[in-house]
Amino acid sequence: MNFFTQIGILLRKELVLELRMGYAISGILLYVLSTVFIVYAAFFQGVNSPMLWVTLFWIIMLFASVNAIVKSFVQENGARQLYYYGLLDPLAVIVSKMIYNISLLFFLSLLTWAALAFIVGNKVEEFSAFLLALFLGSAGFSILFTFVAAISSKADNNSTLLAILSFPLVIPILMTLIKLSVVATGMLEDTGVGKDIGILVAIDLVLAGLTLVLYPFLWRD
Amino acid sequence: MIRQSWWKILAVVILLYTFLAGLLIPLKPGIAEVTPRALQAGTEVELTVTGYNSYYSKAKNELRAWLKLEGDVVLKAARIEVVNDRTMKLHFNLPQYLPSDSKDDACSLILDSPIDGAIVLPEGIALTQDSVNLLEGKKLWSADKMDQLNVGPKLTFPYRSVLYETIRNQYFHVPLWFAMIFLFMFSVNFSVRYLRKYDPDADLRTLALNRAGFVFGLLGTVTGAIWAKYTWGAFWSWDVKQNMTAVALLIYSAYFILRGAFQDEEKKARLSAVYNIFAFAALIPLVFVIPRMTDSLHPGNGGNPAFGGEDLDNTMRMVFYPAGIGWTLLGFWIASVAYRVEKLQQKLLDA
Amino acid sequence: MIWNRLSLVCVLTLLFQQMAFAQQASGDFLRSIGHIYVVVAVILIIFLGIVLFLLYLDRKLTKLENQIKDNE
Repeated sequence: MNFFTQIGILLRKELVLELRMGYAISGILLYVLSTVFIVYAAFFQGVNSPMLWVTLFWIIMLFASVNAIVKSFVQENGARQLYYYGLLDPLAVIVSKMIYNISLLFFLSLLTWAALAFIVGNKVEEFSAFLLALFLGSAGFSILFTFVAAISSKADNNSTLLAILSFPLVIPILMTLIKLSVVATGMLEDTGVGKDIGILVAIDLVLAGLTLVLYPFLWRD
Repeated sequence: MIRQSWWKILAVVILLYTFLAGLLIPLKPGIAEVTPRALQAGTEVELTVTGYNSYYSKAKNELRAWLKLEGDVVLKAARIEVVNDRTMKLHFNLPQYLPSDSKDDACSLILDSPIDGAIVLPEGIALTQDSVNLLEGKKLWSADKMDQLNVGPKLTFPYRSVLYETIRNQYFHVPLWFAMIFLFMFSVNFSVRYLRKYDPDADLRTLALNRAGFVFGLLGTVTGAIWAKYTWGAFWSWDVKQNMTAVALLIYSAYFILRGAFQDEEKKARLSAVYNIFAFAALIPLVFVIPRMTDSLHPGNGGNPAFGGEDLDNTMRMVFYPAGIGWTLLGFWIASVAYRVEKLQQKLLDA
Repeated sequence: MIWNRLSLVCVLTLLFQQMAFAQQASGDFLRSIGHIYVVVAVILIIFLGIVLFLLYLDRKLTKLENQIKDNE
């Protein structure tokens, strides 16, 4: 089996597993909806400033992503890992997980956006810029969380460990994303959007590159 | 013994030099205060100047002072009355009109003394006139010329009105960051070595270097907060660099927590090495990229000019660069002691 | 051991309170003489930090020494 067929098979496996265990994905969806509703209920005066809207959006996204990704390694314990180990290229495993998580998070972010727009109100004016922010954000989150989840899955108390290890690392991405998204709401003039996009792309690429280099060392157990 | 630890001796010598030079070299004489700050054209005014590190009495009759407007237009002080070394009174006869096409203007005050050298208080004094007459103003202000200015004492640190003596923190607070970055860099180096050769020794070195780097980072944050309180007004101003270092400290705390999460030595070493490399890569944009692109109170970032030119003059460089080397060497010394303790513990565990 | 640490924290807090009080009483001590005491505070903190790290290593070494003694 060559590298790309392996990735294709693994992607299909992820999708089939996800659909078969319907409660996992529907759990995440419910999580997003209820968080958005809590935000709506908590801010009873309404979320009026775009800055606040954007910040809430990314915070909801952050926690939803952690919850969505933590299971991607938890569900695969000992025996199955060993099975992959004999059969597959570690790079194919991590690449397929990254691709799958990027699409999952991108879908999740669109859903969060829709839910927030429906319940709280939409503040986004420049759709293409916001979509770009969503894509770069879900890419950054999924690469980072996938890798850190791979580390923390080796420990016992892994969901706490995932949060501790990944939240400090995610802050630079989060700050740049919020800046970029505020521009997309039309509240600020775009001064240096290009630079922000550049930073995000650079962070995403560096993290992805390191994940590819370092994952084989995590794999072996 | 000496051959092995020459760099420790070097660290001590350099740090001794840093402390002596950094604390003993005086600040350049400066102007601490001038009253009043607003002058009316066409009047006779008396400015009270309070100096810092100045020697007005010594220079008594050779003191000169000018008010300077834009375009090298100056007005010489009519009379200078020295009260003591730190205080003097300047008398100016301000002409009826200013060489300016608006009613308000600002001027700088320039003092010159053979002992203190030339001192400039830039744009510090406001001038107002009742009616505008540019031509007449130019004629009235053209009588005086600024002649040869004196050069002050050579071996001094720059005088900055917000910083004052705290400019010396440049040799104590800033090098802590250099030391931290170098320590973390070397720890990544050992993490890579661990992943290549699975050498437990490299893991212990990584741990020790990270511990020392973390201590330096923590000290850098605390000392920075104190310095910030007395220059920017608050311990924590949510400045980019402050936030980024807080994040960096969190990242490395996570490293120590990660180590605690594993019982198996090999697993602990391998996973923490992987995380360490990843964390350092995430640290690079934090420390080197984002601060440069965002507005910051720190010099050299965002809208602020880098420490250079006037702020980091040659005298400061003479102390600052060795200080960086000295503190970094001290960091490595601390790390090496911590490593030896870890190593000993390892040996006892194995025995 | 935890009591040692707690008492250290208590002493430090008291010290800082005293310092803050003294500050209010005598104008602003740290701002006097061209803010030179800010530099003093920075150097003191660095010194204290290094001493605390030394203390940590010292305690670790004591434990190891005791272990060696037990082994013999």
